[in-house]
This record gives sequence, C-alpha cells and structure tokens, in this order.
Amino acid sequence: MNEEAIHVQRTPAGVGVPHSSFPSLPALCIAAVCVTLLGYLALIASNAAYLGWSDLMSFLPRERLWVRFWLTVRTSALATGFSLLIGMPAGYALSRFRFPCRTLLVTLIDLPVMVPAAAVGVFLFGVVKSFPVRQLSEMLDMRFAHNANCIVLVQFAVTVAFCVRLMKASFDAVNPRFEQVSRSLGASLPGTLLHVTLPLAKNGIIASGIVVWARAAAEWEGLMLFVGGTMAKTDVMPFAVYLDWNGGMMGWVVTFSLVCVALAVTSMAAVRWIGGRSYVW
Amino acid sequence: MRVKDHLAVALVIMPLFMACLKSQAGEKIEMLFHAGVGQRSSLMDIEKILTKRFPGLELNFSFKGSGYFIADIERSKEGDLYMPGEEFYLLQALERGYADAYDPVKDSPAYFMTVIITPKGNPAKITKIADFARPGVKVSLGNPQACAIGIWHEKTFKKAGIFEQVQKNQVHSAKCIAEVATAVQQKAADASIVWATTAVLYLKDIDTIPIEPKYRGFVNLPLATLTTSKHPDMARKIKEFILSSEAKEIFRSHAYVIDPGPLDKDGFCTDGGKATEGDCKWLVEAVKVARDDSIPVNERTCGHLVGEVKRQRKTTRAGD
Repeated sequence: MNEEAIHVQRTPAGVGVPHSSFPSLPALCIAAVCVTLLGYLALIASNAAYLGWSDLMSFLPRERLWVRFWLTVRTSALATGFSLLIGMPAGYALSRFRFPCRTLLVTLIDLPVMVPAAAVGVFLFGVVKSFPVRQLSEMLDMRFAHNANCIVLVQFAVTVAFCVRLMKASFDAVNPRFEQVSRSLGASLPGTLLHVTLPLAKNGIIASGIVVWARAAAEWEGLMLFVGGTMAKTDVMPFAVYLDWNGGMMGWVVTFSLVCVALAVTSMAAVRWIGGRSYVW
Repeated sequence: MRVKDHLAVALVIMPLFMACLKSQAGEKIEMLFHAGVGQRSSLMDIEKILTKRFPGLELNFSFKGSGYFIADIERSKEGDLYMPGEEFYLLQALERGYADAYDPVKDSPAYFMTVIITPKGNPAKITKIADFARPGVKVSLGNPQACAIGIWHEKTFKKAGIFEQVQKNQVHSAKCIAEVATAVQQKAADASIVWATTAVLYLKDIDTIPIEPKYRGFVNLPLATLTTSKHPDMARKIKEFILSSEAKEIFRSHAYVIDPGPLDKDGFCTDGGKATEGDCKWLVEAVKVARDDSIPVNERTCGHLVGEVKRQRKTTRAGD
C-alpha cells in the first residue's frame, strides 16, 4: 500500500489512529468476527437441534448431570483457590520486584502453560509418589489415588502458571505511581499492598480468578492420564463427555457439551461484568 | 461494587472452607478396579450387586482406554483388579509382574463378537463380508496400531482375501472403536465391523448385520487380580463373582457372548454359527424393537437385550 493511501484519522474516538483509505478493510475485519461468531452459533445450534428440545428437557433435570456439574464446579473452585494462593504473591513479585535471574524465573513459571496437560498428568504420578508429597499426604490422610483430590491436583497443576501470568497482568495494570505516593506518605509496603494495590487490582484479580476457574473446569487430558474416570466420583464434565461418547450415549454427550458451553459463556460474561476495565483478558 | 466485593470474598473463602472439609471415612474397604471404558455399563450393573453383597465395599473404577493402564499401574503401583478390553494388555501386565496368574479360558467372563454395522437403512446394501470390496462402498477401518478392532478388520478381510480392495474403499481411519461407530452413525462411512457390544449402543441409528459364521470373530474379555492389591482376598471374591453365571448374564444383557462355541486358532467361529445363532438373532430384533414404539419390549421381542432396548427407547438420543 503506498504511503499516500494512509492518513491519520483525527476524530474524538480515535485521535492519531492510522486509518487506511481502503474502505472495505474495517468491514472485512468485522466480517471476520461475525463469521467466527456465526461458526460458534452454528456449532451450538446444530448440536442442540440434533438433541432436540424434548430430549434436552429430559436430560437437563436428571441427577446424573448435576452430580457431575457440581463435582466440576467444586473441584475447579478448590483448584482456583489454591492457584490464587500461589498466583497472587507470585504475580505481585513478578510485576513489582526486580531480582537476580528474574527472566529465567518468569520463563520457568510459564513452562506449564506451554507443556501439554497430558505431560503434566504424567509428571504428577512421580510427584505424588515421592518425598515429601507422599509423606505429607499420608500424614494428612489425604490420598492421591484416582479420587477427587487428584482432580484438584491436576487442575491446580495446569492452572497455577496461568494464574501467575494473569495476576502479573492484573498488577501491571495498576499504576505504580499510586504505590509510590502511598509509600512517600509513610505507609509500609504491606499497608500499601493492602490498601492501595489490591483494591486497584481487585477487578483484574477477580476476572483472572474466573478465567482460571473456567480453564480448570475444562481440563481433561491430565485427568485422563492421572486420574481415570470413576462414575460420579472423578468424571468431571469434560471426562463425562469422553466416557459417554465411548458408551454411545449421544444424548448425554451432547447435553454435557451444551452445559460446558453454557458454563464457558457464563464465565466469560462474568469476566466482562466483574472485570470491567481491567485488561487481563 | 458491594456485590462484587462479596463475590470476591466468596471466591477466595469458599474453596478454602471446602478444602477444610475432610471426607468421613468409615469402616470400608476401598478398592480400585482398572477397566477399559467399553466395559463400563456391564461393570456398573455388577457394582450394584457387589456393594449390596459386601457391605462396606467401595468399588472405584478407573475407566480409560485399555492402552493407558500399564503406565498407570506402573507409575501409581495401585489397583486391585484389571479388565482391559484386549488380552494383549493383560499379558503385558502379567509379564511385568503386576497381574496375578491368569488363565485365558477360565478368567474370561465373556467374549466380544464381530458384527457388520451400516447407517440406518443400509444405503449401500451390505449383507456380507464380500460386499466391503465392492467399488464405491465407503468403509471405516480402525488403525491396527491404535485399537483392537483395527486388528480384526485386517484379519477378517485378509481371511476373505479382499483386504487390498477394502483398503481402496477406506474413507476413514479410526483410533478407537467408538470412532468407527460414530463414523457409520453419522453416515461418513457405509459400513464397518465392530464388536456387538458397540453396535448395541446405537440401536436407533445403526443397522446390525451378523457376519457369516466363517468370518465371525471372537475375542475374550480378560480379568485378573493385581499384585498391587491391598485387599487380595476381597479382590479374589470380586473376581469369582464376575466369573459367575450371574455376572455372565449381566455381560450378555450388554451384547457380550458367553459361549462362542468352538473357535480356530485365530478366534474365528468353526461351528457354522450354531452357538451364537441366538445372540445374532436378538441383535437384529433389538434394532427393530428400539425403533418401533408399537412393539412391546420384553424377552419375546428382544431376548436378553431388553435392558438396552428400554434404555434407548426412553429418549430420541441415547441416555441411560
């Protein structure tokens, strides 16, 4: 495109934004968004049509669905809680402090985001059978063997790095100038964190928590390797889809899938609503 | 903002509160049963009887693809019983010292039987093995490296001397038997061969055609107790029950074959199909009954498959 074709649009909404004179470019970009959304809608609608209204109404009230739904909600909430316990201080440290080997640490912390969840599942076998996790779990009478504890462990392992990354983004979004002012007025570092940083990062933290929760609820690969599916005990929603698909129960497969989509949509809506103008996602 | 504050507190506090709730472990025997995902419905029925018979028994199943188990048992060193969908995996466990003594004849409660499946209405008019070689027939085959049914596709078509022609007709390569069935159900393929236990799960969407006796294959469903068992006596009792005639009837109600009759060294039928005549007949009848609400569901109309037909008649798409 030649340089004359580009000029700077000066409108209240987009001061200084380079604007192409090629008139159909914005339309093309918006069309791309619409096509993607239409694709999503077509996927959901075709599956809903395959199932049919009467079957959907027959499957939805059944206990079988809700046992797995609440198992998913419960385990993902626990995993999110544990991820937040690690993610918040780690994200704060990475956002605010400079220390030796920081880049190396950031890279290492990011590693589980890149490693396939299946590999995380394999590594967990080694972790739970080794010192000190084995001794600790025996002491606390917490067994890690094909039970709900294992689900939480897998979900935690695959989401914690994700959580640290999102927390860092939440704290990065807070202007450090406010903290500097607080410190210059005599507030301690913990006081500043508690009364200035956390309230300012609050929306981002909540939005991040929801994203982490949704990611934990969608985990499957690691569970397949490390946990296995025990009916109504370890078969969280994605696992239930796999088990029922193998059992030819297409009614349940589509119902579970539609509920998974509903969960994801609700989570993302909550991120937008609670997260407000926090740009973590 | 107040609502949002409360939500934030709830998000952090609730998981921690729940983490503090410890499971109330009573006097119970907790056991772990590694089983192929295809055996789920039969084992769920068996579990109901076992937990009544042995109060305090908590039988946890770990359902996965059969190939995942060796690594699982090797890494976790846990489990009391093992029932993969294919003997090959059990022999591996035996070789590595994880499975107790296993007798291929005595330690099998049931057999898988091969059947032809086509989409509803059988659009390509498949009636026998030779039809798979007809030009233009779309065939779904399992990958022999990924699933046992793939090995049987190869064995069956090689025995019929049409493997090369069938390979030319192949439109889909599946990693597991459920993929084969789904391809036929969705009409991506005109025909394939699956176990009767898989075909019976799709009574409304898939037509089942018994294979001619000389190409009809059988594979035993193996069972063994594991050397890692913490309750070997209870594991032995469970194994005894699963091998009993009472449990065998449960397997039969899910389209397993209890008596395949005499077989050759490759697992093909040698009695002209006499022993499995009834099994094949009821498979075909069950399809008719599942699709026609005017036919009553009872043993006279669909034999031992009453439970499966009833389950699938409840809704348009199969549930339980």
